[in-house]
Amino acid sequence: MIYFDAGATTLEKPEAVRHAMARAVATMSSPGRGTYPASRQAEETAYQCRSEAAELFGMDSPENVIFTGNATQGLNVAIKTLVKPGSRVIISGYEHNAVTRPLHAIPNVRMTVVDTPPFQPGQMAADFAEALRQGADAVICNHVSNVFGCIQPVDEIAELCRRHRVPLIVDASQSAGVLPVRMDEWQAAFIAMPGHKGLYGPQGTGLLLCNHDTRTLMEGGTGSLSRQQQMPEDLPDRLEAGTHNMPGIAGLLEGIRFVRRRGVDKICRQEQQLTAYAARRLELIDGVKLFTDGEFINQTGVLSFLAANRDCEEVGERLAQRGIAVRAGLQCAPLAHRTVGTLKSGTIRFSASVFNTMSQVDRFAAELQDVIRENVKM
Amino acid sequence: MDYYLFIARSITQAQHMAHVLANCGIRAAVLRTPASLSERGCSHAVKIRADKLSAARSCLDRAQLQPLHIYYQDANGYNEVSV
Repeated sequence: MIYFDAGATTLEKPEAVRHAMARAVATMSSPGRGTYPASRQAEETAYQCRSEAAELFGMDSPENVIFTGNATQGLNVAIKTLVKPGSRVIISGYEHNAVTRPLHAIPNVRMTVVDTPPFQPGQMAADFAEALRQGADAVICNHVSNVFGCIQPVDEIAELCRRHRVPLIVDASQSAGVLPVRMDEWQAAFIAMPGHKGLYGPQGTGLLLCNHDTRTLMEGGTGSLSRQQQMPEDLPDRLEAGTHNMPGIAGLLEGIRFVRRRGVDKICRQEQQLTAYAARRLELIDGVKLFTDGEFINQTGVLSFLAANRDCEEVGERLAQRGIAVRAGLQCAPLAHRTVGTLKSGTIRFSASVFNTMSQVDRFAAELQDVIRENVKM
Repeated sequence: MDYYLFIARSITQAQHMAHVLANCGIRAAVLRTPASLSERGCSHAVKIRADKLSAARSCLDRAQLQPLHIYYQDANGYNEVSV
């Protein structure tokens, strides 16, 4: 199988990630619960993971790096901290259901959607500035659209939020490990990310970077202040009830080390080159419509397309039968599709990782061409 | 030998303190706080030699890390000192 669905999760992981997880299963118990070696090893691994994440993402303190099960959990904590019934919230027109569904669940939220066309970061920044003139209780923006790969102007939006004193939540699901994600520069209230995409950790991991007081999503045992019935006031314990996923955290630590060794800039260039090459191959196929600015300056390794008026799910299925994994449909982001005008059709999404190659792109393009031709013959 | 215990807000803060102290050349061990000192139950602490107190406090102040409590430990037990 040739896997081009890194936007959902990176399937191929560095070998060190697999080894670390296997080692953790065999040797690590729960951190902070005992004084014996298995607990101490877990404690040290968890701390190393927080520390390396803090360095990569410009955090002052490892205590403010929270382990979550995925980006969705982190976004829920952030949104339910900042957004109350009746709050006014500004979001981009590219937000994932991990943002829009929690907002939908809070009564009477007044939402302003900044639905600038894709690949126009300058215009989007201006549109956010206009929206912020009316004031807001929170701004939520993803760094990169999971559907179209367009890079949002988070630097400018963060600066606007600082100026207006409006807390910002950044969804870094598609950018952590691919673009610079820096709390020290953005001064966002929260930045949420999965561990299992651009950080090459396993599924079941994520990080929430906190720069704001927090409201708990879940209460339970933390291995600390156990007589007290309120959750601890201090991070990270306040947001980490229950037993940690130590095999996941051990794997995530190796994924972060992999990203730091390779370099985020190098990873981004590699993915952009692959995706630009894919775009050049696909645009030669009759009937393929690409969603791209063509230059890959404002786009990462995510590329959506439509194929010759074919049902996108049928094309996805036919490609899977030929050994090519892509994602078809709405990619859990109907808002993004509404903004661009593809809500009815959906799209087929190609998303690359550092483990993909140009020859795999060649094979993908060839198979897509065959799939389109076989329908024409029918 | 006499010691000081710096009671942390979480195990993560205890680890952070220990790493910062190590960078200042001060040996520090992370341990579970003795039950008699954990008024809210279950916490972690950092243990240092008594003669390192002043240097340790300066080191942690520079890193903006403040323990919840500080206890002096000798052969007779524990006494709280001012943070």
